This record gives sequence, structure tokens and C-alpha cells, in this order.
Amino acid sequence: MLPSRSKLSVVVFLLPPLLLYAAAVLLPIVQSLVLSFFSWDGISDMQFIGLANYRHMLTGDPVFWRTFANQLGYVAICLILQLGGGLVVASLLATLTRGREVIKVLYLLPAVISTVAIAFLFQRVYSIDPVGPLNTLLDVLGLGGQERPWLSDVHTVLVAVSAPEGWRFIGLYTIILYAALLTVPRELEEAARLDGANQWQIFTRIRFPFIRPVWLTTSIMATTYALRGFDIPYLLTNGGPGQSSELVTTYMYKTAFTSTDYGYASTISVFIVVECLVAVGLILLVLRRKAV
Amino acid sequence: MSTRILTRPQPSATRSAPPAGQPAAARRGPNLYRVLSRVIIWVLVVVQVYPLVWVFLTSLRDERDFASGNPFGLPSSLTLDNYSRAFAHGHLGRYIANSLIVTLGSNLLIVVCGMMGAYALQVLGFRFSNAVRAMFLVGIIVPVQIALVPLFIDYSKINLLDTYPSMIIPLAGFALPMAIYLFSSFYGYIPRETYEAASLDGAGPYRIFARITLPLSVNTIVTVVMVNSIFIWNDFIFANTFVLSDNLKTIPLGLQNYIGAMGKTDWTATFAAVCVTVTPLLLVFLVLNRAMIYGLESGATKG
Repeated sequence: MLPSRSKLSVVVFLLPPLLLYAAAVLLPIVQSLVLSFFSWDGISDMQFIGLANYRHMLTGDPVFWRTFANQLGYVAICLILQLGGGLVVASLLATLTRGREVIKVLYLLPAVISTVAIAFLFQRVYSIDPVGPLNTLLDVLGLGGQERPWLSDVHTVLVAVSAPEGWRFIGLYTIILYAALLTVPRELEEAARLDGANQWQIFTRIRFPFIRPVWLTTSIMATTYALRGFDIPYLLTNGGPGQSSELVTTYMYKTAFTSTDYGYASTISVFIVVECLVAVGLILLVLRRKAV
Repeated sequence: MSTRILTRPQPSATRSAPPAGQPAAARRGPNLYRVLSRVIIWVLVVVQVYPLVWVFLTSLRDERDFASGNPFGLPSSLTLDNYSRAFAHGHLGRYIANSLIVTLGSNLLIVVCGMMGAYALQVLGFRFSNAVRAMFLVGIIVPVQIALVPLFIDYSKINLLDTYPSMIIPLAGFALPMAIYLFSSFYGYIPRETYEAASLDGAGPYRIFARITLPLSVNTIVTVVMVNSIFIWNDFIFANTFVLSDNLKTIPLGLQNYIGAMGKTDWTATFAAVCVTVTPLLLVFLVLNRAMIYGLESGATKG
């Protein structure tokens, strides 16, 4: 604590950030909670309906569960690409002696591009008429039978809308994990190697435990980002065909701004927050316990 | 062994390998591993960069060439027609100006509020500072979707819908927790003695903020601005929800206009527009990537 501070100065410095935070984040959370107990279309009077929205969401809305399952698939694909891919590539990158800085920048490039541009890009990448890069690549590799309109095939569309999101942040997680790997003391690895540990053992017994705190943070980041993932599926397919690529987030958005069912949309958005909190809780539970 | 740390020799080639093993194979082991890892690293570079190169090449292609040609082929002829069509069709300049206003406004709010909050929490300190800090930090994981419906309703009540602040407030508010976190962790490194000495010389909290904390924060400010600019410049969800009129559209919304606006999508012009709108941020990123990469790394590793 600063010796010469006054109560007033604390208030002066704390008030602007608190006001901003309250207006943009805290108040809307409270409002969403309140709205979730009402039925309201924005025009007629608000009607208190208690838990009816929650009951409908959890027991009477098959579309909601469909979107929840899709969201889990979306999260899984993002995590495999971002965390799995990121960790593998970061480990490989740590063996490079030259060009690391350039490669880091190149990996991060897609993160700079707007999601709208990425959606355009992948619409072309997946297209079959005219034949886009993905289908051309399959043809060149002799997998011509696998060519398809990736975004209108119900079996592939979820993967097709998830992959771009995973792709765009691989570089971000690679760079973070790579920075963490560089902090692992060389002597530890050398000592283990002299004791006969193989590459896999060095990774699981020394490197990974050492970077576990960072792994924890990146897991939380990647999972919560994927749980709120919205832009690319919304722009690429708008949930279609049918509901095969509808996520909880896009469903909530449509409920709010297409069907103008503000009450039910708020219920779903509360669910999205709960999802994130539960996910963070689970990650802490799993990764913290192993650390002991 | 220790002279070849960076090549990570296969352990099977060292201790566990029987002495009768072929020495040639033992030598090939590490090389194979090395070659394979190089190949994977460069394949990923291609995967990350090629799509953007492809967009750029397409933006220079003739329309007919694009419709019929092999997507991997180089353009048969280069043309800047797409760019003139891109500018003629949309209000690209308008979109870019709007994005600049929103990005600058949000960054200003984030930096000022972030520094003030971190200063109050980390330097001044007060009784419930830990509770307040926790309240801010929770914001890092709060999904933006929760704010869409309430803000839409509130904005329409106070006539803020379809204005710059309608985008700036939530963009800054949701970025604030991370900014406070980054500034706080940096302020933690400024030695307490600096502040105590200034206090003894009679400097109050405002003067100390202006003369010591602010000048020292420049690097962190660059980092915070870089990281946030990327997300704000590219923000789609807030703009799409709160902006209704065409002359307030930011780049992501403006780009959407290119789709289907002419019945059939003019892809080459669309990609030209993408190139134009991506360029400013890309240039800043290529120049300041060190600050940004540092920010991303420290944001996650200092926790």
C-alpha cells in the first residue's frame, strides 16, 4: 500500500474501470439472469414465468440438446487442433535452432484475419462448384471419391465449421506453449537423459509437469473460447443444413434476434456462462489434482 | 552427448541400444527425427500461410480465370480490376474509418481504465482489493453472448443503438479484465522503494501515477493495445448486433455486403476487399509482432 494514499484517491482510480465493467459486463449478467425468468418478445408486456424457460430448455427443446451436442463436438475439434497440435508443434519448434522468430510470426498470421474474411476463404476452400482447394487436393492425392460439398453434407459440416476456428488459433497456443517449454531447465532434461530416460519419458515426467501451470491456463483459454465460438459457424452455414452445425451460441443469437424471444434467449445465454464456469471447474479439478 | 543437446538424439541410440546394434542405424535415428520435425514445422507454415496467399492471388485474378481455373494454379494474368470494383461497390473507405474509430476509442478506454484499475489494485491497495481483483478476473472467462440481449434492450431505451459507443463500451468492457491483469502483473515488478521514496519526497498518489507509473507503462501499453486491436478490429458479434445503418458499419460487417449483393457473389472483388481491409492490421502486426507475441506469452505464462 502506498503510504500517502487517501481513500479518495482509491475511489478516483477505481471508479472509471468499475463503471465500464459494470455497464458492459456485470449489469448485463444480472439483467440476463432476471430476463431468463420472463417471457418477453420486446414489444408486449414482460411476463414472469418462473422456471418455465429453464424447464423448456432442459426437458422440452430437442433443438437445444442438438446444439449442445454440436457445441461439444466443436469444442473437441478446437481443442485437438489448438492444444494437441499446439503442444506437438511447440515441442518440435523447441528443437529448431534458427528461424524460430519468423516461424512464430507466420504461425500467428491467421489470428490477425477477421472471421468474416476467414468465412469467405473457407467457403471457397470447401466448395465443389467451382472446385475449391480442398477438393482439388483430394483429387490430386487420389482420394477423388472423398470429394464433396463439405458445407452442405450433414456428416461433414460440423467438422468443416469447427476446423477454421481451430486452425486460426493454432499459432497462438503453439507460441504460448513454446515459450513455456523454453523455461524448462536444460540440466533437468540432461540429467534424466543420462539416467536413461527416453524422449517420451522426458516429456511426460519432466517437461509436461514443468509447463503444467501454462497448460492449465491455455486449456482454460481454449475451452472457454470454443464454448463461446460463434462467428465462423454463423457466417459459414448459419447453423445449416437443418441444425447440423447449429451451436448453442448461434441458436441463442437466433432466438434473441430472429425469433425475438428475449426471455428464452437469456436463459440460453445463462446456460453458456454456466457451461464456461463448469468447464473451468472441471479443468482445474483434473489438472490441479494431477499436479499434487 | 552434451554437445548435441539441440538435436535430441534418440535415447535408444545411447544406453538401451545393445552394443551389437548397427551404428549406422543409431546415427540415422536422430537425423530422421530431425528431418521429420522440420517437415512438420514447414508443413504447418504452409497450412497457416497458404490460404492467405491464395486470397491475395485470387484478388489479382481475372474473374473468368477464377471460375474455371485450377485453384492451386498461378493466375494466368494479373489484374487490378477487382480492386477498383471492390472500391466502387462498397464504401470501403467508410468501413475502414469506422473500424479505426471503434478500435481507437476502445483501446483508449481499455488502456486508461486498465491502468487506473491496476494502479488502485496493485499500487494503492485497499481493504477489499482481493475481492475486487477476483471480480475483474472472472470477467476473463465470461462469454460475450450474455451481454447481447441486455445491452440491445438497454441501448434501445437510451437511444444508444446504432452508435459508435454501442460497440466501444462492450468491446472495452470485456477486454478490461485482461488489461487489468497485464498491467497489475507489470506493476508488481516496479520496486516498492520507488514509490516509498517518491512518497517521502511529498508526491501524492496522482503525481506518482503521472510521474512514475505512467511513464514506466509504455511497453505494457503497446502490448495491451496490440493484443486488443486484433480482436476489436475484427469484432463481428457486437457490430452485427448493435449496428443497423450502413454508414456505421465496420470492416467485418462491410465485407459481408459483398456476398450476394450482386445476385451472384463477385468473389475476386470480395477477395480484393478482404486484402484491402486486412492490410492495415497486417502491417502493424508485422512491425510490432514482438510486442504482441510477448503480450500473448506473458498473459498466459505469468499466471
